[in-house]
Amino acid sequence: MHRRKTIFLMIIIMALALSFLLGVGSGAVAIGWRDIAALVLLEPLARLGLAPGPEAEIPAVTRSIVMQLRLPRVLLASAVGASLAVAGAAFQGLFRNPMADPFVVGVSSGAALGAVMAMVLGQTFSLLGFGTVPLFAFGGGVLTIFLVYNMARIGKTVPVMTLLLAGIAVSAFLSALVSLLTYFAGDELHRVVFWMMGGLGGATWLRVQVMVPYAAAGFICIFMFARELNAMLMGEETARHLGVNTEWVKRVLLVGASLLVAASVSTSGIIGFVGLAVPHLVRLVAGPDHRYLLPASALLGAALLIAADTLARTVIAPTELPVGIITALVGAPLFIYLLRTHKRLRYFSNLE
Amino acid sequence: MRINLKVQELTLQYPAYTVLDGVEFSIEKGEMVALLGANGAGKSTLLRALTRSLAPARGAVLLDDCDLRKLTQKEISRTMAVVPQNTGVDFDFTVEDVVLMGRFPYLGRFQKESRTDREIAREAMEMTGVADLAARSAATLSGGERQRVIIARALCQQPELLLLDEPTANLDISYQSTLLELAVTLNRQKGITVIAAIHDLNLATQFFDRFLLLAQGRLLAAGSAEEVITPENIQLSYGVQAVVFRHPLHGRLQVSVPSRRENGPRAPGPGSAAAAECTLPAVHVIGGGAESIQALDALREAGARLSVGPVTAQDSSFQYARFFHLPVVEIMPFSPISEAAQHEHLALLQQADLVVVPPIAFGPGNLVNLESVLQAARQGKKVIVMEPESAPDRDYTGGKAQAAVQELLAAGAEGVPDTAGLIQRLTKK
Repeated sequence: MHRRKTIFLMIIIMALALSFLLGVGSGAVAIGWRDIAALVLLEPLARLGLAPGPEAEIPAVTRSIVMQLRLPRVLLASAVGASLAVAGAAFQGLFRNPMADPFVVGVSSGAALGAVMAMVLGQTFSLLGFGTVPLFAFGGGVLTIFLVYNMARIGKTVPVMTLLLAGIAVSAFLSALVSLLTYFAGDELHRVVFWMMGGLGGATWLRVQVMVPYAAAGFICIFMFARELNAMLMGEETARHLGVNTEWVKRVLLVGASLLVAASVSTSGIIGFVGLAVPHLVRLVAGPDHRYLLPASALLGAALLIAADTLARTVIAPTELPVGIITALVGAPLFIYLLRTHKRLRYFSNLE
Repeated sequence: MRINLKVQELTLQYPAYTVLDGVEFSIEKGEMVALLGANGAGKSTLLRALTRSLAPARGAVLLDDCDLRKLTQKEISRTMAVVPQNTGVDFDFTVEDVVLMGRFPYLGRFQKESRTDREIAREAMEMTGVADLAARSAATLSGGERQRVIIARALCQQPELLLLDEPTANLDISYQSTLLELAVTLNRQKGITVIAAIHDLNLATQFFDRFLLLAQGRLLAAGSAEEVITPENIQLSYGVQAVVFRHPLHGRLQVSVPSRRENGPRAPGPGSAAAAECTLPAVHVIGGGAESIQALDALREAGARLSVGPVTAQDSSFQYARFFHLPVVEIMPFSPISEAAQHEHLALLQQADLVVVPPIAFGPGNLVNLESVLQAARQGKKVIVMEPESAPDRDYTGGKAQAAVQELLAAGAEGVPDTAGLIQRLTKK
């Protein structure tokens, strides 16, 4: 098992490197791996005095395509992919439910409502360089999680099943509001629908700069509780008997995962399937230990979303497809195939 | 001796329903305590209160004189380990992973399990006999294996106190004793205090020293088996009439609850006030061993008023008679029948409408009973002899008993081949 885990981790890292090269290299102008390596690896190293300067000058156009367009986009895709996968793994573990995904407690619906409100109301102001849509989306997501948490709370405790049900109910309610607003969206309809399909088209360095700290904070929150998550898989009461302060763990994980989701959704809309399928894929190969599952899911989620986004912007170029369509279109059949061929995916079956 | 666990006036309420009502007891280090009580008596609730899974409305649980509420979850887990009733593991963690989870209360946030932790886990697995399974997926284990894995995890917590919730509920009889023997070993070798909620009273008396009996949320009795496990207490807590006797092999108390049918209304015994109005025949059965019990039970089910003839207090038919409050003639073991007992026996024979001689063995000690029946038969009493043709095989008097049986038949007694024949004969009347 140990060897298997190491090999799998190496495969994931290679996949990530490959998708990075593909993501930065492909597009209307193809860029070779030497140029990419020179720009993103050698130049920064040279600047730090750790490597000799580049042998040949890189054309300014190439430089600007890589540095201004593709690199931020690839980095944003990896941050979002990793965030969604880790949030999905955390929710699946917390709820001990294979159907849980990053959007299960309604954060995405809240974010969608925020985004659609911003578009329909047509308010335009900006805060710290952000437009109204990501700001409203983020706010909507965070508000939703507080609402759901407090609705599910009984005294000092929050039973996970109640939390799950409250999440589903709130999610349904907010989705209805989104539909209502969409119905009256008028000229904005196209924009609203497109946003909800999810896409990384608006990637800028600013978004990367904001997304990365959020992702980092969320990851640290969740990774710190990996051992507790393992104990929680044994059932909440057992986890308590083992010394886990379960209420505290639930709160931290809920907040951490929700921050990841709200940040992801506000920068790139609702990208489905990554958060559901990636943790299952990792568990299938390497088992349920969260100390491995969480970092491996992060890396694999990043690799897969870069690949999906690259496909989304090249498959019918110059037109760009929403990446959410690709993730579901390619991911779902693959997932179903795995479900049919590997019975171990069903080990969630004996829930109390 | 240091007090390990003390429960003070514990009261626990669900909305509009009191589950525990002023329960108070203390358990000292190294004790082996069984928590008894009917379904719904509050056993599980008490266990959950002891582990702080449920908060009491009033009262407190003190662990080494410190209120449980003042301790952190990790502090509690270092002293107290729990083996829950449902030990299901749905995820395919290896057995070793599951056992190592028991080290959680000792590990810092970023600390990895050390070599010592792994050794502790290894030792725990060896103690519970699951070391060979270390690399197996815990999701693929049998119920008995899983239970031992979970106990190994509990041992990994290095607890002073081990709580077991219905540890034998889902196990076959071999695993049941293996498991409780393991609990006794842990108690003796490691000085771990064991508290187990347990349904099976007979297993409890076999392996535990102290008993707490709950009924309707109150502590009904506490103490040794002899103090707690009495027919009266069992009637109060479980609502059934039970026989308490000593096990022939280990001498511990055992409890047996006859089926509902046997606990039902009894036919009144002969000579009682009700007997006068009763139309069922009064039947006297010559006692002695299992054969007479079979006849007695069939007759009682058919509705006959019964009495049982001379038996020693050690005889199973004597205990049968006592349980159902049947008139019985008692004789001293290894002695000839006394004059008084003989008199009593003749009186019962006199009162009966019918006398039954079951297929019991006859020796010099009870030949006299057969002679008494013969005398009654000659005076015109109805007598039924069961399995008369097998009488020679049961005769230890050198032919005297067999001769008496032949005389009985000659005097008008009827022979029946078996219990069914007996009942048929009785109902035809």
